[in-house]
Amino acid sequence: MELIKIFVKAKCPKCPAAKEIGMELKREGLPVLHYDLDTIDGLAEASFHSILSTPSLIIEDEEEREIVSWRGMVPTLQEVKQHLLGTHLS
Amino acid sequence: MANVIEMKEERKDFKEEFETTDMALFVRTSEESMNDWNRQRIVDALVRETYVDIDTAKEIARDVEDLIVTSKIKMITAPLVRELVDTKLVERGLEQARKMHTRLGMPLYDVDQLILHPNKENANVPHGPEATNLTLAERIKKEYALLSVFSQETADAHMRGDIHLHDLGFVDRPYCSGQSLEYIKRFGLSLPNSIAMAKPAKHPEVLLAHMVKFAAGLQSNFAGAIGWDSVNLFFAPYLVGLSDRDLEQLAQMMIFEFSQQAVARGGQAIFTDLNLYWEIPKHFENVPAIGPGGEKTGKNYSEYMKESQRFAWALFNVFMEGDGSGRPFFFPKPLVHITEKFFQTPGHMDFLHHICEVASAKGNTYFIFDRGETAKISECCRLSFKLDQSDLEDAKEPWKMRYCALQNVTLNLPRMAYLAKGDDTRLFSKLTEFIEVAIKAHLEKKSFIEKLLSVGERGPLALLAMNRDGSPYLRMHRASFLIGMVGLNELVQVHTGKEMHQSRQAFKFGLKVIAHMKLLVDKLSERYGMHFVLEQTPAESTAYRFAKLDLRFHSPQSGHIVKGDISKGEVYYTNSTYLNNSAVINPIERVRQEGLFHPLIEAGALTHIWLGETRPSKESLANFVIKTFQRTQNDQIAFSPEFTTCNVCNRTSRGLRSSCPYCGSQEVDGITRITGYFTKVSSWNKGKIGELHNRYRNQAYIEDQKGETVLMTG
Ligand SMILES: [Zn+2]
Repeated sequence: MELIKIFVKAKCPKCPAAKEIGMELKREGLPVLHYDLDTIDGLAEASFHSILSTPSLIIEDEEEREIVSWRGMVPTLQEVKQHLLGTHLS
Repeated sequence: MANVIEMKEERKDFKEEFETTDMALFVRTSEESMNDWNRQRIVDALVRETYVDIDTAKEIARDVEDLIVTSKIKMITAPLVRELVDTKLVERGLEQARKMHTRLGMPLYDVDQLILHPNKENANVPHGPEATNLTLAERIKKEYALLSVFSQETADAHMRGDIHLHDLGFVDRPYCSGQSLEYIKRFGLSLPNSIAMAKPAKHPEVLLAHMVKFAAGLQSNFAGAIGWDSVNLFFAPYLVGLSDRDLEQLAQMMIFEFSQQAVARGGQAIFTDLNLYWEIPKHFENVPAIGPGGEKTGKNYSEYMKESQRFAWALFNVFMEGDGSGRPFFFPKPLVHITEKFFQTPGHMDFLHHICEVASAKGNTYFIFDRGETAKISECCRLSFKLDQSDLEDAKEPWKMRYCALQNVTLNLPRMAYLAKGDDTRLFSKLTEFIEVAIKAHLEKKSFIEKLLSVGERGPLALLAMNRDGSPYLRMHRASFLIGMVGLNELVQVHTGKEMHQSRQAFKFGLKVIAHMKLLVDKLSERYGMHFVLEQTPAESTAYRFAKLDLRFHSPQSGHIVKGDISKGEVYYTNSTYLNNSAVINPIERVRQEGLFHPLIEAGALTHIWLGETRPSKESLANFVIKTFQRTQNDQIAFSPEFTTCNVCNRTSRGLRSSCPYCGSQEVDGITRITGYFTKVSSWNKGKIGELHNRYRNQAYIEDQKGETVLMTG
């Protein structure tokens, strides 16, 4: 099962939009984790995935390998779903 | 013996002994002058140096005099008198007064050893009168620092080994510095306290001479590295029309000038970093060039690409040849910046192959990766500063680009893990506590240096106070304060039971520790209005010192943790945030994993690729460099080959050997990178020797393909 990780910061203009997408995906029952880069856990997790800008969103597999990522940008809900769907099918 | 005096005494019982010189009582005074014995001098010293009242001082002086008389000491020296006074202070419980009355210095035996025998513990310093001067001075300044510059709390934390205050013997100088040649091109060489003022250079050799002199001046005002930004570019306006031969000659002069050992301070070579660019760095493209005579040439730097590139190429030709015996030059260090623009600049692949050939043959090349829009200037072993908006403003007048790190304080990370006993909360609160001590040390050092600078061009740091362009040479508001770390790998091992390369969870825990450090120093920077930054401490001796101290204070647990060979005393902690040196990991994967820490470590980080005796093709190294740039966050890499140099036939061979393959002599010495520079292995401390035995030299990833040695990247 894929996992969606969303990276945000308190003072970041586009982050609310990314959070919104996260909420939406969660409502649909998908596993989403939010990370705040101003916290230790958030910054460590971001570093692990080489996330240097916010907002960023990644989809990873069980082994924490990255399937797809949007760095420093917000994808549409549709784009995220497409990738989830794509991997489910394959 | 002009500084020895006979002690005159009115007391009768001294009279007899006074007659014959060898039986006399001597007083050696610290002013090297002859002084009669006078009890009042003890009183004066106590009142001047401590807070004790005059009556107590008089009492102590009388006590000491009685003691000397009744003990029938034949010869007394000023240190002895002082010790006797100190005993009396202790007897009266005047602890603080005793501290203030302390005499700094060394036992006779130690000085004797120092002057007569080479120093095995710290053989970075060659043996000789200049070197022993340096050691003697360092010892006293170190004691002075711990007693007088730093608070007791800070000094104790250092002595215990919670933290390490670097370069205490140089407490009255900032740590390291980076500058621009534009400063001497524009202002010439007019240093405070020097008799001759030199106008801006008209010829390239003169500019080089100014650079070398200025570097020597800076070396005596800084403890560590002296870095130069964009050296090939800033020389370029002087190189127009120069023949290949003359250019090569100049390159050779530059490298030999900076590589000569035993001529500078304390017989140490100047720790010189030459930052080089194949392209014209973006921030200098439209900057008016300064040329001969300090005049603007009427062109911008973007018009000097040809000269700049030719000079960079010529410098690497010299590195390729090595010194007179074919050994790699230890200094200066060439740091080539690999940027997006590098790959858009014509001829970059040829140049990349050229510097990779040097990297493989001699190891000199450092590859610095400036990804995206960040521009960097590298200073010390790996200290680099990212240029922010105000720096980019300064770049329009590049002589303003002067940076320094005031001090480096390193944290003993494994120590915190022993103390935390597996409890996360305790671990992170220990980490906070240690960082706060380091910050306190920085505040103390800063106020001390500011005191020295406040006397301006008449003071001890005149060179740093000199003002030629509206601000002092040392721009305090741009200074950095470094917080380093040793043994992240062992912290993680103690706390989680696994080393960082052994499990993803352990690795992630390592990231959490550094993330905590990063967030905290950022917060404290804001609070104090100072620039605290994380740095990968080179920790040449600190990794050894911490391991030894933890074996003393945290046995038996530490016995299972420290790396190296305990039975030989060759123990160490893994440097900074590195993965275990002996772990068998694909080198590109090591570069990637270690690189994940680098964005958190603002003041610079580096991954070593140990090559052992192999000499991979330049194409395979170039491939490795490109992949590192494109696929990792790694800040800087260096390839380190190993050599054996023969002290009999003077020839140099590949690999670390016990005898010379040319003449069979066993009078050989190994040469390889210790931390951020090359040096002879015989000069290494035991901890680094232990590490050298353990280094994984990537044997499994170096292959023969079609008769070529190749470093694998896949
Ligand atoms: Zn030989």
